[in-house]
Amino acid sequence: MDLALVKKLVKLLSESDVDEIEIEEDGKKIRIAKNAHRGYMVGARVPEQVMMEAPRPAGVAAPVASAVGALAQPLPASAPVQPASAQNIHEIRSPIVGTFYRAPAPDAAPFVQIGSEIQPGTVLCIVEAMKLMNEIEADIAGKIVKVLVENGQPVEYDQVLFVIEKS
Amino acid sequence: MFKKVLIANRGEIALRIIRVCKQFGIKTVAVYSQADMDSLPVRFADEAVCIGPPPSKESYLKIPRIIAAAEITDSDAIHPGYGFLAENASFAEICTTTGIKFIGPSAEMITSMGDKAYAKETMKKAGVPVIPGSDGIVESAGEATEIAKGIGFPVIIKAVAGGGGRGMRVVREESEMEQAYKTAQHEAEQAFANGGVYIEKFFEQPRHIEIQVFGDQHGNAIHFGERDCSVQRRHQKLIEESPSPFVDDALRKKMGDAAIKGCKAVGYENAGTIEFLVDKNKNFYFMEMNTRIQVEHPVTEQVTGHDLIKLQLQVAAGERLPRKKIVQRGHAIECRINAEDPEHNFRPSPGKITDFHMPGGFGVRVDTHSYTGYHVPPYYDSLIAKLIVFAQTREGAVSKMLSALDEFTIEGIKTTIPFHRQVMQDERFVNGTFDTSFLDTFQYVPEG
Repeated sequence: MDLALVKKLVKLLSESDVDEIEIEEDGKKIRIAKNAHRGYMVGARVPEQVMMEAPRPAGVAAPVASAVGALAQPLPASAPVQPASAQNIHEIRSPIVGTFYRAPAPDAAPFVQIGSEIQPGTVLCIVEAMKLMNEIEADIAGKIVKVLVENGQPVEYDQVLFVIEKS
Repeated sequence: MFKKVLIANRGEIALRIIRVCKQFGIKTVAVYSQADMDSLPVRFADEAVCIGPPPSKESYLKIPRIIAAAEITDSDAIHPGYGFLAENASFAEICTTTGIKFIGPSAEMITSMGDKAYAKETMKKAGVPVIPGSDGIVESAGEATEIAKGIGFPVIIKAVAGGGGRGMRVVREESEMEQAYKTAQHEAEQAFANGGVYIEKFFEQPRHIEIQVFGDQHGNAIHFGERDCSVQRRHQKLIEESPSPFVDDALRKKMGDAAIKGCKAVGYENAGTIEFLVDKNKNFYFMEMNTRIQVEHPVTEQVTGHDLIKLQLQVAAGERLPRKKIVQRGHAIECRINAEDPEHNFRPSPGKITDFHMPGGFGVRVDTHSYTGYHVPPYYDSLIAKLIVFAQTREGAVSKMLSALDEFTIEGIKTTIPFHRQVMQDERFVNGTFDTSFLDTFQYVPEG
């Protein structure tokens, strides 16, 4: 994904009346949308390396154009840590550094709770880094037994976020 | 002054930066790979953020994670150290756009000095002597010969896209040119997929002498004298010293003035080093400019009495460079202690250090991140410690280095300590009559 191209698109967007641009090329897709409302915008599959800095808004009325890519990345299965029923337990760890959010928007319901049933591909949370919202997906089927991080808390690479009981 | 600095590096330089920040009352954030979980920088930083698995490109080179770490810790500046992202213009720019101060020059300065052809052109325009050579790519052996006759044999043919000594051919007389040109081109095509070659004057056994420069945000530029880094193995520096035994006051003044001209020509900010090639007749030529703090900065600190990392922070925070004249006093030598086996062609020797004892005393300084029980990881460079000595004279420094090396104990892995000990006793080194060809003929004798 050409970073220079993405930068040009963001600039284009912020200077025009267009609300949204979606481009697909060589199997890579990027969607860039303006934040009309203060919600977390989640876009299509984008490689983690494509980082965008939201340009500073020119004035109060100008909408903040943020380039958004969602990293829909299934997490690598990590070795379970618990001693006893180790077979059944699976940890979901953060693949990146950032801020953990439990819901798609501040006033929305959390993606999952304790007891939620999940499938491979279920979105569990968002980790925000450099104004990019990255969706963290489950890579197994099971039930959430523990949520180890609080909403808005910073997380580091490989930090355990959820404990799943495999089904 | 900054409230919190994130150190985007590891090892001895990360610890060095943390120490300076502590002295200033600046909070520190260490980012680390999983291989560095038990490292001293992680231990002594106020906060630490894991940014990835061991491989550098999954951790210390991962720009998004480092910036994210700065964001979640509310760091207001990032010190990139040396290596890794220190000369990555993209990283410097992202820091700036994210509102984090990059402790170093601007992205533009990094880019322009990183382009060898542009850097050379810029220095030439500023009146800094540069290595005579062709203006860009040479299209034929005939053209090469003409240029060579103009600048004088011997010349060296180099690959435009090159490095690592490949795609290079020395030509000593006209009759050799045709063959050498074809071979160099072919090698370049094979190694770099780019057969473009250029010509430069070739110097037999030059010295590598560099000038430490500093620019501030107010247009000032000063220099801190020279470092002689001629003792190199395959273009890797092993021993550095200041002042250079080859440089007299007159040459120092000329080189220093040239370095300042170069600095001002680009409006340079923060620490930088201008590397020169010096021939037997004390002619000096610009080689390249490094837009970062260097490994060997301690020898300059010892003879000038200035803490260069501290100065980096001050300049980045907007302070002016010191107005008082920089004076060199005494002599300092640094030996890079690497986790390598000198008996087996310096092959890397990672592993657990079972016993680590550093020398000490007046004028003996060790910059290291190693300790007893430390596991030297295999993923990064092999530098495990820098041993720096300072004395009133060069003779005193060499003697002090020898006794410090004798005392320096590192067991469990192989290190270059015995190698340095032998160099300190080599006649050419002791007399100061060495150049970049020194290690080509130096014979290391395996110790029993």
